[in-house]
Amino acid sequence: MMPKKQQLVISSQEQVGEAVFRLTLQGEVAALPGQFVQVGVAPALDPFLMRPFSVHDCSRDKLALLYRIAGRGTKLLARRQPGELLTVIGPLGKGFPVGKADRAVVVAGGMGVAPLLYLLRFLRGAGKDVAFFYGAKTAAGLVLQDTFRSLAGEYIAVTEDGSAGKKGFVTQFIRPALAGKKADLYACGPFSMLRAVAALAKDTGADCYLSLEARMACGVGACLGCVIRGADGCWRRVCTDGPVFRAEEVFGR
Amino acid sequence: MTPDLTVKIGKLTLKNPVMPASGCFGYGEEYAAFYSLEQLGAIVVKGTTAEPCAGNPPVRLAETPAGLLNAIGLQNPGAEVARGKIRRLQQYNTPVIVNVAGQNPEEYLQVIRILDEEPAVSAYELNISCPNVRAGGMAFGTDPQVVNSLVRTVRRATEKTLIVKLSPNVTDIVAIARAAEEAGADALSLINTLLGMSIDSETRRPLLANLTGGLSGPAVKPVALRMVWQVSEAVKIPVIGMGGITCAADAVEFLLAGATAVAIGSAHFINPIVCPEVVEGIAAYLARHGFRAVREIIGLAKKAAGEEGEKDAGKDHCRP
Repeated sequence: MMPKKQQLVISSQEQVGEAVFRLTLQGEVAALPGQFVQVGVAPALDPFLMRPFSVHDCSRDKLALLYRIAGRGTKLLARRQPGELLTVIGPLGKGFPVGKADRAVVVAGGMGVAPLLYLLRFLRGAGKDVAFFYGAKTAAGLVLQDTFRSLAGEYIAVTEDGSAGKKGFVTQFIRPALAGKKADLYACGPFSMLRAVAALAKDTGADCYLSLEARMACGVGACLGCVIRGADGCWRRVCTDGPVFRAEEVFGR
Repeated sequence: MTPDLTVKIGKLTLKNPVMPASGCFGYGEEYAAFYSLEQLGAIVVKGTTAEPCAGNPPVRLAETPAGLLNAIGLQNPGAEVARGKIRRLQQYNTPVIVNVAGQNPEEYLQVIRILDEEPAVSAYELNISCPNVRAGGMAFGTDPQVVNSLVRTVRRATEKTLIVKLSPNVTDIVAIARAAEEAGADALSLINTLLGMSIDSETRRPLLANLTGGLSGPAVKPVALRMVWQVSEAVKIPVIGMGGITCAADAVEFLLAGATAVAIGSAHFINPIVCPEVVEGIAAYLARHGFRAVREIIGLAKKAAGEEGEKDAGKDHCRP
């Protein structure tokens, strides 16, 4: 699907957690799970750049984004009201492929949960047996738990302080889900979590897909501002070579 | 009647005065997804070096008030690979201008040797103004004598239209502009980015891995406009004006200041179809004000300023 620049109407803006909002826009973006959109957070030249957001959910006539207020751009976005127009460019980047294994193990860390709702729906639609691991620092960092629980066969929440679910890092609890039947791994979250997930994939031989983030300008592959160094030493553009990468592309075999 | 938008830059006749600025447009392929590049006056591709160049480590970007700092560091696949990408642009029937960069005069010449036989390349834009590389780049663009000698060397190596892109990071941009003109440049483009930096107060570290970067975006527009005004007054060759243009009104300001054409850079990041929108907007502006050709408005603000000046001549502004 070729990306388009569109003006979309905000249909809802709901707070779903501590500084976490779900924004729903009217219109078709035709994104695949793991793809992202660029959003003009304010109709002005300051802040100058658009903000990249992963697609939280998407259908023929609606696009949902899930975001936490983390800086000036998201603060402005949270002030935008239903009925207002937002400039949206998308769909952008490479999303999650649907792996070959019948079992899917999906790992979320903090706001990395944003693109995984759409992925869970997709994997369920493809008939996969899905286990969902959701980690956060504290209970307050876990949002929309009922929705995620309803979309996964197995649902395990983990917090670093033990204030909800199991206590520890989410990556400590995944290994049993990868034992036995062959499974594909999908993850989005902090870089350190992705590194641990990639290590698990290497150990178990699972195919592993990771969604990364970076500061971006163009979002379409032209400016070369968002590069990360791949395992082979070459640059990868997070915006167009990713944001979803095979684990070995980033962390090696 | 549709106004005549054509302008001349060296040997080139452009169908309109709007082009993307080098570095913000890759080799065109990314934006071809949004519109036909045929609508551009010219296609200006990324700074190209003789050998592949890895560029700077990330973080390469930092947003600033109404602007953006970048320190990409001329990452590009080298002239041979670039040549293949440039060939694919021939389908758009629009002149392709290649931004040429190097660490020494020999490297500039190497790029031109690789590309000069290529019919898909219409012109060169000599990059003597990149602020993000240790050798070459801006180092070549801040001393009139060095500029003169480099432009002379390159001029002897090619018959194609030669544009020299100037750095704003100088005390007297007019002296640099004159040096390039005297050495045989067909046109000048300005401005490249302004050297700047940004520090994160929370982490107490510079935001860019390269420490400094080039500032672009609406924040630099007044500086760019002033420099275009000064340079276009001082030289006879055409000036391509750029720096913070985001809409047709901005582009018209540059034309009125004396630019023959304009380039649009960072605005691509907030509007991938900004160039065709500006082309349309300039045509609408001309029609609305009764001009038949874009050439009629080039430098027009100077004429107005001159008339004001004559009216005011002899008045002493310091006396009440």
